[in-house]
Amino acid sequence: MAAISPQHTFDGELTQPLTVTQGNMLSCVEPDYRGFIAPNSLRRMTRVLKMGLATSLKCLQDGGIAVPGAIVTGTGKGSLQDTERFIKEIRDYEERALNPTPFIQSTYNAVNGLIALQQKCTQYNNTFVHRGFSFEHALLDSLLLLSEGTPDVLAGAFDEITPEHFFIKGRIGHWKKETISNDQLYAHVSPGTISGEGAAFFLLTPQATEKSYAQIGGLQMLYKPSSEKLQCTLSQFLEQHGVQADEIDLVLTGANADSNHGHYYDVLTAYPKWTQLPFKHLCGDYETVGAFALWLGAMIVKQQQVPQHWFPMLEKQPGRMRNVLIYNHFFGEQHCFMLLQQVK
Amino acid sequence: MAERVFITGMGMITAIGDDVAENLRSLRAQQSGLGYTQQLQTIYKEVLPVAEVKHTTPGLSEIAGVAGQEGYTRTALLGLIAMREALRSAGISNVQDEPTGFINASTVGGMCDTENVYFEIADPAKTGDFIRFIDTLDCADCTQRIADTVGIDGYITTISTACSSSANALMYGARLIRSGLARRVICGGTEALTRFTLNGFNSLKNIDKRPCMPFDKDRNGLNLGEGAAYLVLESESLVKDRNAPVLAVLSGYANTNEAFHPTAPSPEGDGAYAAMKGAMEMGGCVPADIQYVNVHGTATLSNDVAEGMALQRLFGEQVPPFSSTKPFTGHTLAAAGGIEAIYAVLAIQHQLIFPNLHFKEQMEELYITPASTLLEDYPVRHVLSNSFGFGGNNASLLISKYEG
Repeated sequence: MAAISPQHTFDGELTQPLTVTQGNMLSCVEPDYRGFIAPNSLRRMTRVLKMGLATSLKCLQDGGIAVPGAIVTGTGKGSLQDTERFIKEIRDYEERALNPTPFIQSTYNAVNGLIALQQKCTQYNNTFVHRGFSFEHALLDSLLLLSEGTPDVLAGAFDEITPEHFFIKGRIGHWKKETISNDQLYAHVSPGTISGEGAAFFLLTPQATEKSYAQIGGLQMLYKPSSEKLQCTLSQFLEQHGVQADEIDLVLTGANADSNHGHYYDVLTAYPKWTQLPFKHLCGDYETVGAFALWLGAMIVKQQQVPQHWFPMLEKQPGRMRNVLIYNHFFGEQHCFMLLQQVK
Repeated sequence: MAERVFITGMGMITAIGDDVAENLRSLRAQQSGLGYTQQLQTIYKEVLPVAEVKHTTPGLSEIAGVAGQEGYTRTALLGLIAMREALRSAGISNVQDEPTGFINASTVGGMCDTENVYFEIADPAKTGDFIRFIDTLDCADCTQRIADTVGIDGYITTISTACSSSANALMYGARLIRSGLARRVICGGTEALTRFTLNGFNSLKNIDKRPCMPFDKDRNGLNLGEGAAYLVLESESLVKDRNAPVLAVLSGYANTNEAFHPTAPSPEGDGAYAAMKGAMEMGGCVPADIQYVNVHGTATLSNDVAEGMALQRLFGEQVPPFSSTKPFTGHTLAAAGGIEAIYAVLAIQHQLIFPNLHFKEQMEELYITPASTLLEDYPVRHVLSNSFGFGGNNASLLISKYEG
């Protein structure tokens, strides 16, 4: 696995202190890309392309595989910078003598194409672009591929935020009116949340290897569910995967202090014994934040420890972490449960 | 053994017709949908031909049955019209009688409407009606608008792999059915004309100022088009349960990547070859089983060489009749794979091979030429439908006659 996020995650450790951002827009801590991308390519590429490509390459390096059996990604926004640039150039140059590069890079499958090109991967290649289901369907597609016999799949997600887009989404109430720092997020329950971005990639195999971080035990998506449907689906989800409620050792939740959509997380109150940790003070909120949650959950399962310096709200380290549940939704519309299990 | 995947309904709207029947009529009459835009604000209005759906956006909202309701972009309306026809055609009066998925495809989502108000949206000094378009820019908006309007709440997502998007949507839907995760999934794509894409392809210098000429020596690029198309896919067991008529079988598919260049195929058409071969193998077909190939055939210099080379490699001296229907509909980007999958079904149902309009002279690089006249009473059992795109994305579908 590999992740670039607003925390120091690219080195693959959870040891760095919490990065605190003033204001409501979290930006990624970007690594030095020169180890991954040739200088002439680097110059042309905008931020999310670099983030996506570098994360995928680091992930392959981590998994010890150069050419995966398939590449599947999710992105809610693709390359926003290139989209913004091309739309402005159409206006500024009155549709004449345009540079095609931002248009090419604005296509949502551009990162996938770059990964395939760089690794000479001629196999299955797909890109999902559906808000809070972008990464989740990339993951489902990957699980289907593995069950169909593909030996390994590179699955990932990437999204960026720009100041212009932050302003635009702010106009329809996505972000908090008050300006806060991310470490104070949960003390500000009010309309809206804080914005974030990130890239995370996973190399998935049908059997565990010595390098495996965790096992994906289950994945369930729900589109605009009622609270009753959500409740019912959660208990069915556990049952379907043979997990008793008291076997869930930790829950990572997408709770983001947004009073408009926060009530969905009440579904978890039916299980008062569960240790719940919200994670969005680390990464902000964005379409493919589920990929960051999966990365974080898998790190925790592998290390059998919650990084206390990132979660000051944690009163006591959970004991053994065999089953970690992730529940996230994107502004109340796309909901997802993921079950992560310790590799036996 | 995974269940077979049947096509039980289809709906579409393109520049050559507001529904499947009108499309068939125009294909038979060899009537192209190419002309100059009436809807798009662009300096290329009378310079670059496009295949535009012949209705204003308010006109489309009437056809879609949502006249006067706010927030539907042209992309969503085209899609909604095609979706309603697909449901009717499959005999589905209540879509919630069976958990139903919707796998949609789009390349630029609601850009058609947002690009006209983008600078007002981004300007803190401006307020007004345009605010309602803020959330329509992404590709998910049109998918959810369509799903919410007709009441779909099963698996729902959007795929964007450039010009192969809706072929990949069909493939993903079929795989959800074969895995047992769903019994019914509606798949396809929707795309409206935009200044963004017109200028994008024009900046790449691959738009022809004349009506496009796929597989012709004199070809000089594509023409953009708009439209939407959805196919209802159902598992064999659901078809039996509800005694639904089967239009055709989605019997094979493959997705490959060129890994060659961000916007160009390899000259030998490696990805196209592998995609067609994979789809045929999955459907248990050998080259001699294929009666028609609906080629991607954009009429760009590089696509037609690569795709033609792939056809020659795969079929040798016995290349079956093939044609590009893009001179009829223009290149509808994310909708193309869905539209052409429906044309493949029509070819099977009506035993037709559609002509590759505007073909005059054989390409120097190839020994094959496309079908240039309408072939009627042609025994079509298996059709390959190709969709290739930027990012090296290739998809090929094998659509077969239902024979029990």
